Amino acid sequence: MTDFLQDQYDGVTSWLFEVLLQPAMYALGLMNWADEAFQWMDFFVFGVIQVIVVAAVCLPLERWRPVERWESHGLVWTDVLYTLLSRLGILPLLGFILFYTASSRIEGMIADSGFVPPTLETLLPWLREAPLVALALYIVILDFTEYWRHRFQHIFPWWWALHSIHHAQTQMTFWTDDRNHILDDIIAAAWFGIIAVAIGVPPGQFPIILLVLRLAESLSHANVRLDFGRLGERLLVSPRFHRLHHGVLSVGNLGKNYGVLLPVWDWIFGTADFRRDHYPRTGDPDAPATYVRGGWLAQQAAGLRQVWRAITARGA
Amino acid sequence: MWRAALLSLCIAAAPARADTVYVLNSGDASISVVDVTTFTETRRIPLLREAHHIVLSPDGRDLVLGDSAANELIFLDPQTGEIRRRERISNPYHLEYSPNGRFLVVASLRRDHIDIYDAASLTLLQRFRQRDKPSHVAFSPDSRWFYVTLQGTGQVAAVDLLTSSLAWVQDVGPEPAGIIWNRGKLVIGLMGRRDFVTLDPETREVRVAFQVGRGAHTAFAAPDGRTLWATSRVDSRIAEVDADTYEVRRVFDIPGGPDCLAFDPEGRIFATLRWTGRMLAFDPRTGENAQVRVGRSPHGIFVMPQRQGVGADFAFAAPGAVSGSRPMARPVAGGGAVAGAVAPVGADAAIRVNAGTPGTHPPRPTLR
Repeated sequence: MTDFLQDQYDGVTSWLFEVLLQPAMYALGLMNWADEAFQWMDFFVFGVIQVIVVAAVCLPLERWRPVERWESHGLVWTDVLYTLLSRLGILPLLGFILFYTASSRIEGMIADSGFVPPTLETLLPWLREAPLVALALYIVILDFTEYWRHRFQHIFPWWWALHSIHHAQTQMTFWTDDRNHILDDIIAAAWFGIIAVAIGVPPGQFPIILLVLRLAESLSHANVRLDFGRLGERLLVSPRFHRLHHGVLSVGNLGKNYGVLLPVWDWIFGTADFRRDHYPRTGDPDAPATYVRGGWLAQQAAGLRQVWRAITARGA
Repeated sequence: MWRAALLSLCIAAAPARADTVYVLNSGDASISVVDVTTFTETRRIPLLREAHHIVLSPDGRDLVLGDSAANELIFLDPQTGEIRRRERISNPYHLEYSPNGRFLVVASLRRDHIDIYDAASLTLLQRFRQRDKPSHVAFSPDSRWFYVTLQGTGQVAAVDLLTSSLAWVQDVGPEPAGIIWNRGKLVIGLMGRRDFVTLDPETREVRVAFQVGRGAHTAFAAPDGRTLWATSRVDSRIAEVDADTYEVRRVFDIPGGPDCLAFDPEGRIFATLRWTGRMLAFDPRTGENAQVRVGRSPHGIFVMPQRQGVGADFAFAAPGAVSGSRPMARPVAGGGAVAGAVAPVGADAAIRVNAGTPGTHPPRPTLR
């Protein structure tokens, strides 16, 4: 079965690359980037699979026990666009094109300093023999750093001005997971890059696990009345746990439940709210109307204006 | 069906052998170990991040591969596949030892530098920063010069190891990738064109040598010394080329993006197919071929003969060793294991040949 799936996957990616993408790159004089393009193609096909799997799991759940019912789902379509741009690799591709040279230069400068960036396995050699344990450890560490990045998004006014786009959605569904301003995504990439220098980036050879993780993150935003029970709520971020974070009374630095995958960080740092009967309305009451009802482009433009206001207001 | 055909092919040709092929899967951080007799992947060795190229150490005892994103060189026992040691160095993408065994040169595609290491101690001796994407490395047979394709700028850089300086940089054409030494010239694949070009290191004259198909990539010298095998990525071909005249004798369409090639002692070809995650086995005498699944985006490849009297370094004892990315000063006779003798650059870079199996040949000279 695994062989069959792998064969199908290889068949699709190689066909797309050999028949469509690579000849086009050759014609455009872009063969210098052929290897990167193949990786992007991999990302694209894997992204399509992610979207299909996530939708196949979350849509029935949202129909089964929705927290809220809306007459119109118009606001959700903007989030669908965010998801497609993000998971099909279009925004990551843009980021790669814009920042490859810069990141390459920075890596070169680090190398010139004599410092050879380590990996977690360099620091803990026994992990070499246990790649699944290594992956689990990477996930825990990255989730910890994501917890703090998320808290900073709520603490600093200029950062909240960007992150508010994610919180402004009043029709929160599993599509809302990728609703982020591009600048916010860039900061996230830089954050990840610093961690990569410190401990290396996690191996990507476990696509099934990565698929499950992305599914968990999407599910946490789903419009579904679902918790994981007294114990489960403390092990994995549930739709209930994360919905409370998106509640209208949990905006900015009033936030609770910052955890992305593991609630343990909220537990440790005193920001957890484990009330299992609470499913608040979502949204940011102070967000501009464009953040709520605008399209993707309008929200991106408004995000830049809001950041500028936040920065200049702080300086005034 | 094809597996049975290849099986019969292998068994009929050499019933006692069970050669091992090592394939570096750049897309999923692993090495596939393929048994040629059964034509199955017998083992998957995990790595950390992204391994691309593999070479044999000068003393013939280790396979050396670079895990570029993990900043590691890995030394592997060619007989067993056991990882003997790891060394931390910056972003080893393509690597090659000097024919005299003194230097290891590493091209860092990602970080735009070329590093010269002392081969024995792995001390960094010198770093040359380049503008964009230093890709593949080839030496001159006397070990004095090495040449690196600069993929991003369409050039080849020449470094003089006698003076430890960048001697010149020559435009060669769009997106040069593979580079080898052949008959006093460099043969370079231009991924942005159909052409393999020759670059005369004396006059720096660049000429179109032959065409294989769109996306010319790398040429490899066959053990017989009379043939080059060249790959094209876009048209997905492997071509047989006369090493003296550059006449293209035969062209084979091989879907899947053939990339690196390796040969067994009989001249059978093993190729990585980057885009389909397969390894190709191909007998150029009969045209018979078969594929086996390996990991994602397989790149570097090495054939380890498992037969009496033949060591990992058999290729350096073949006539074809006068060409390649680590060309020998002259064809070596006797077969079996080869060891690099310490020789100052510019002096006689002799290659000593020890005939016989690794277990029976005389002690190898140390590089230290």
